[in-house]
Amino acid sequence: MPTYELTMLLRVMPKTDIVSTLKRTANTIFSTGGIIRKIDSLGFKKMPFKTSAHSLVHREANYFIIYFDAPPSRIFDLDEAFGRDVDVVRRRIYKQDSEPPEACTLADEIKPPPYRSEVQKMLEMAKKAKKPQFSYNTGLDYYPFQK
Amino acid sequence: MFFCKHQTHKMSSYVLTRSFVGAAKKILWRTLHRPIHEAAESHQISNEEIQADLPVQLEKNPYEKPRVKCILCKYNIEPDYKNVRLLSQFQSRYTGRIYGRHITGLCKSKQAKVEHEILKAQNAGFMAYYFKDVTYVKDPQLFDPDHPFRPHNY
Repeated sequence: MPTYELTMLLRVMPKTDIVSTLKRTANTIFSTGGIIRKIDSLGFKKMPFKTSAHSLVHREANYFIIYFDAPPSRIFDLDEAFGRDVDVVRRRIYKQDSEPPEACTLADEIKPPPYRSEVQKMLEMAKKAKKPQFSYNTGLDYYPFQK
Repeated sequence: MFFCKHQTHKMSSYVLTRSFVGAAKKILWRTLHRPIHEAAESHQISNEEIQADLPVQLEKNPYEKPRVKCILCKYNIEPDYKNVRLLSQFQSRYTGRIYGRHITGLCKSKQAKVEHEILKAQNAGFMAYYFKDVTYVKDPQLFDPDHPFRPHNY
């Protein structure tokens, strides 16, 4: 099972309610056969933009991130279940980034145009697209007759 | 007549000495200033001498510049949607728009990653769409948007 990150913005409410909401969320994850690795609380913060959710306008929220493993086929159901929860203002599920970073290619990118591989590829394409020109095979670099 | 004879004798001796000196000079000149083709015939250079004298073949260009790296690759920083403070450094404080590669000076993959992570952060409600968070406005600038590294594509 791959690891996912669930970012949850819970509405303004007392701590006991927050705990019960988190428990509810955890139970939903467990019901799919998933596990929770970690729960991070980013605190009570002002949101960068006001959001209306479940017919209420929210300007502040409690930020949480839950790291969990769950079968990929059940992620859609999970997201839908969190969307139905009235205490959740906003939620997103992202797959955890596990790919190793690519090597830096800046040195190749700042080369002069004819040395860049992409420009060379384009030049080759232009060469291929060029139509073959008729040659007189006279051995002369000019046309000897009147045109 | 006598006078004349004496004169001729003297003249001949003079010519003789002059011709000797001239020949000697010529030989000396020849030995000192031999043309290259003559010198090459008389003097064989050994193989070792040639090896020592030849220009050295370098495997690598000693004047090659070191490979530059973008600032994120240099310090091995991976942009993440949770790290809003880092991401907002690549955002305009006036419009909230992401600066292009010609301004940020990032490599292609890192620029794409930054843009993707900013989108994720905005979508999750961590980051604003139209402005930079006021607490991050006075962060040190990584680049000068008014003086881009490269001219704009269009």
